[in-house]
Amino acid sequence: MVRENLSRRTVLKGIGAAGMVSVAGCTGGESGATIGMANSETGSLSTFGQRNARGLEIALSDINETGVLGGDLEVIVEDTQSDSGAGVSAAQKLVNQDSVPLVVGAVSSGVSLAIYKSVIQGTDVTQISQNSTSPALTNFPDLLRMSPTGAAQASALADIIDEDGHGKVAVTHLTNAYGEGVAEAFKNSYGGESKLFAHDQGKSSYSNVITSMADYDADAWLFVSYQPEFTTMAQEAFDAGHTDIPIYGSDSVKGPKVLEQSPSEITEGMTLVAPSAALDQENYKQFAKAFRENNDTEPTAWSAYAYDAVVTAAIAIEAAGSTEPADIKAEARGVTGPDGTEVFSFAEAVEALGDDGSASDVNYQGVSGPIDLDKNGDPRAFEQIFQVQDGKYVSQGFIAGE
Amino acid sequence: MSDDDPKRAADSGDDAPTRPAGSGEDEPQTGAKSGGGARSGGDAADADGSPIAAAREADSLRGAAGALVGGLTTAERNVASALGAFIALLLLFTAAGVINPTYLLYLLSLAGMYLLLSMGLNVQWGYTGLINFSVAAFFGLGAYGAALVTSSDAPITIAASPLLGLVAGLSLAGILAVLIGIPTLSLRADYLAIASLGLAEVVRLIINNEGQWTGGAVGLSGIPRFYENWPVLGDLARGTPTAAANLALVSVFVVATYLFLRRIHRSPWGRVQRTIRADEDLAKALGKDTFRFKMESFVVGSLVMALAGVFFAHLQLYLAPTSLLPTQTFYVWIAVILGGTGSDRGAMFGGFVIIAIREGTRFVGGSLPIDAGPLRLFLIGLIIILVIRYRPEGLLPPQRELVWPGASSSQADGGDGQ
Amino acid sequence: MSSLLQYFVNGLVFSSIIVLGSVGLSIVYSIADFANFAHGDTLTIGAYGALVALPTLSGIGGELLGLPLGFYGALLVGMALAAAVAVATELVIYRPLDTDAIGMLITSIGVAFVYRAVLQAGFGADFRSYGIERSGPIPGIESALGVTITERSVVMVVCALVLVVGLHALLQYTTLGRKMRAMSDNPELARVSGIRTDRVLLATWVVGAALAGAGGVFLGLSSSIDPRTGFDLLLVIFAAVILGGIGSVYGAMAGGFAIGMVHEFTPGLTEVGIPIGTDYATAVAFVIMVIILLVRPSGIAGREPT
Repeated sequence: MVRENLSRRTVLKGIGAAGMVSVAGCTGGESGATIGMANSETGSLSTFGQRNARGLEIALSDINETGVLGGDLEVIVEDTQSDSGAGVSAAQKLVNQDSVPLVVGAVSSGVSLAIYKSVIQGTDVTQISQNSTSPALTNFPDLLRMSPTGAAQASALADIIDEDGHGKVAVTHLTNAYGEGVAEAFKNSYGGESKLFAHDQGKSSYSNVITSMADYDADAWLFVSYQPEFTTMAQEAFDAGHTDIPIYGSDSVKGPKVLEQSPSEITEGMTLVAPSAALDQENYKQFAKAFRENNDTEPTAWSAYAYDAVVTAAIAIEAAGSTEPADIKAEARGVTGPDGTEVFSFAEAVEALGDDGSASDVNYQGVSGPIDLDKNGDPRAFEQIFQVQDGKYVSQGFIAGE
Repeated sequence: MSDDDPKRAADSGDDAPTRPAGSGEDEPQTGAKSGGGARSGGDAADADGSPIAAAREADSLRGAAGALVGGLTTAERNVASALGAFIALLLLFTAAGVINPTYLLYLLSLAGMYLLLSMGLNVQWGYTGLINFSVAAFFGLGAYGAALVTSSDAPITIAASPLLGLVAGLSLAGILAVLIGIPTLSLRADYLAIASLGLAEVVRLIINNEGQWTGGAVGLSGIPRFYENWPVLGDLARGTPTAAANLALVSVFVVATYLFLRRIHRSPWGRVQRTIRADEDLAKALGKDTFRFKMESFVVGSLVMALAGVFFAHLQLYLAPTSLLPTQTFYVWIAVILGGTGSDRGAMFGGFVIIAIREGTRFVGGSLPIDAGPLRLFLIGLIIILVIRYRPEGLLPPQRELVWPGASSSQADGGDGQ
Repeated sequence: MSSLLQYFVNGLVFSSIIVLGSVGLSIVYSIADFANFAHGDTLTIGAYGALVALPTLSGIGGELLGLPLGFYGALLVGMALAAAVAVATELVIYRPLDTDAIGMLITSIGVAFVYRAVLQAGFGADFRSYGIERSGPIPGIESALGVTITERSVVMVVCALVLVVGLHALLQYTTLGRKMRAMSDNPELARVSGIRTDRVLLATWVVGAALAGAGGVFLGLSSSIDPRTGFDLLLVIFAAVILGGIGSVYGAMAGGFAIGMVHEFTPGLTEVGIPIGTDYATAVAFVIMVIILLVRPSGIAGREPT
């Protein structure tokens, strides 16, 4: 009995001690800066979280070659678990406990909005979402993001499908913020007839969705989904013999594994619109090279956005010349353009800023595109059209948003 | 009336192996016996019942022989001192600047919310033995009810006062409880579990898919703070003052709920619930409409869970359907099992532990070779297995809660049984 | 009319997976006497077992019904792995427990989390595929009956049928089967009459988990797998078992079949004007389960617990 009492007490004290030890480690320094990142390390969006982590890695190594405010940039990463409740907890820790002046977050639009409303809004902390695409974020000017609104690719898709001569489209979309956002925006932009067929993430069979879409008898099918779900649906569409229907896809159905694992009879000729990294730019090529070396695979636009989010944050801190939240907030939008010298990397930006430059002196052109955050905190949309030819994604050109 | 005693003794003996888990083998026996003593209503059976009950408690609860003396049982004393040490540590760190007060207040508010959820589940499971796996649905409806009524961004904008939202949230949850209860409460325990889980998923799917009413997967923003329109509190600055106000709010909820639950637990209503848990046939034999009692317990529990949801909505100021996933239900179950089934204080303790696990793993994060996600899952699974294996009655099982007030011969202060 | 037939065919395929899961769950339920919430993750274990074995076995040439022979080997590996893990869990975790059905249920939730954590730590959260080429609908059937069905779907249905018939034969014609049925009916009597109940219990776990593992492998075959696949299906499998009635293996088969059909017939609802989309397919299955329980609380073929 005595042993049992002790062990329980000890365990509880041990938790306390562990907490103390790990918490005691965090402080800012007088040089350098610390920011926070709320990422989907676990949960339904963990694949995106992984891509962000890879982009972050490269950003940090690039930035710390030059250094921020005379020291290193540190990023405290917290897991949102792809859930708004856990996401708010993550942001609470970053903003209140770790006192970061800027938070890069989050992946899911729902989580980004939750963090903004409940922790960030009304404070001087800057928030830059790395991956959220829901059009809803446009309503919150102080919520900045690196990924363009899904409405951009939705209207691009609507135009393309229209030009291809299809009058009736069956749209199947995920039942989450991303899927609903893009699908709704598509429905609003598209002039012809369309019907939305919702599907849940992570299911093992979508044959009933495919059957429904077939019953609708459309001229074309549009998939707003993620890679695994699209792969399953493509396989089931093939199994059901629907190989003649023109297929269109949104950005997240694109991926190397998808083409490998989906029947080519379905994917061949498929047209997709994806926010594009600036593939021809030198800085993107450098980024992609470093990415390939680290990870043995090609980067996605999502990694590029995460990279740009961190670099933008670092430039803003340099432009502000301090780690005061209010100072950084004043500079964050402006460093991405459109005014100022065009710079393509953090090192170049630091040079252009000189000793007391500010946001209007520098115009960061990211690896994901020109960025140029507008008054709503949205970047300039930079979409690329792809078509699958001979089992590969072939670029058909770019659409730049206004 | 006195016929009941021998019958109950026999029944309790037979029923011990199949008693719902989490109460340990002897507690319900004790409970039934003490309850029986109470039911005899103050006659000689009272005096006879309690020393035997106390002695049995002492035997079965290792070394709790002196338990009723001194106001707190051994288990409670241990947990209380450990908890006290932990809280003292936290306060020390806050004073030293290691822990930020706003963050600490936020964590405590979350813990308070889980306390409410655990207490709600404890009413259904601990008192009455109902295996309710739809906790997330009641929590979610409470939150969505309050949010839809008060939010300025809701699809059907009402933007009313949060007090109205509170009423709306609780009402919705109560109605859902009746709707879920009608088909499921007469089912056997494990069917109830699965059916309630399925129906909770139906609720979540409806909220997720019918965006035109609920905001859908994107979620609902524009929710005001609970005290937004109140004179002093409405003007509080963000940061520590608001966090403190939130903590005060949840504390009010917790205390009010605790007092209310204590009241009904010790009432004749509570007695019937405990009898139903121990042996439903017996309750029926005594002429009780067990279905009605179970439904009442179900609804009361769901209202408490909805209260937690209302608080959650006004804490996060944003709501998404992901809050209704089954994982939420399982967390609350772990809190109740860890803490001790049937015990309000145990459920509260379990609530603290859940927050410790969920937020504590943030701090331990990258230092281990396994990723955080699988590690958290693994830890939670391991804890469940270990608790059921080594301490199935939980860390703070009900002891004196089951002793009818006045039946125990202990000192004045703790003698009210709670 | 042909769309109804197509729904039926789709339902048949999906049911195969559900039935394998629900029959396995039902046996364990009736003999080990608790609701095993780790059953869904047992499916996932089988799926990953086959995933690991496939590269090694693909060296074996030859085809059977359109699938490489290596696949059938991987299927057996998956089933064996699921069975082994289940037996280990029974010996290490469930057997030493001194608690009742509800305590076991809750423990099995913990076990489910542990299974999933291990799979996720080992394989990552990203989806995987078996990489077996798809061949499209069988032409003859398409022109003859107007329905599309692929070779691998045929394989799934046939294999599921074989396994289920095998189980039936096991239960009806073998000594072990007799003992299993005896234990399911009346555990005390079985023990008293000299049946080694602990051994029969182990055999039950082997059979139940192997069937689940097979279901998982077919899941992987029909689409892709990730650590959460099994758990997502768990509720549907439970619905099938409860619908069919706990304690009856044949009820579980019927329940699995019914639930699978309902899932695939949901597109038909919109055709007849009921505005329930396929995103509510699982919801419809649950509601049906609850309705049946209202009318017949022990399920279609179930018995009241003794």
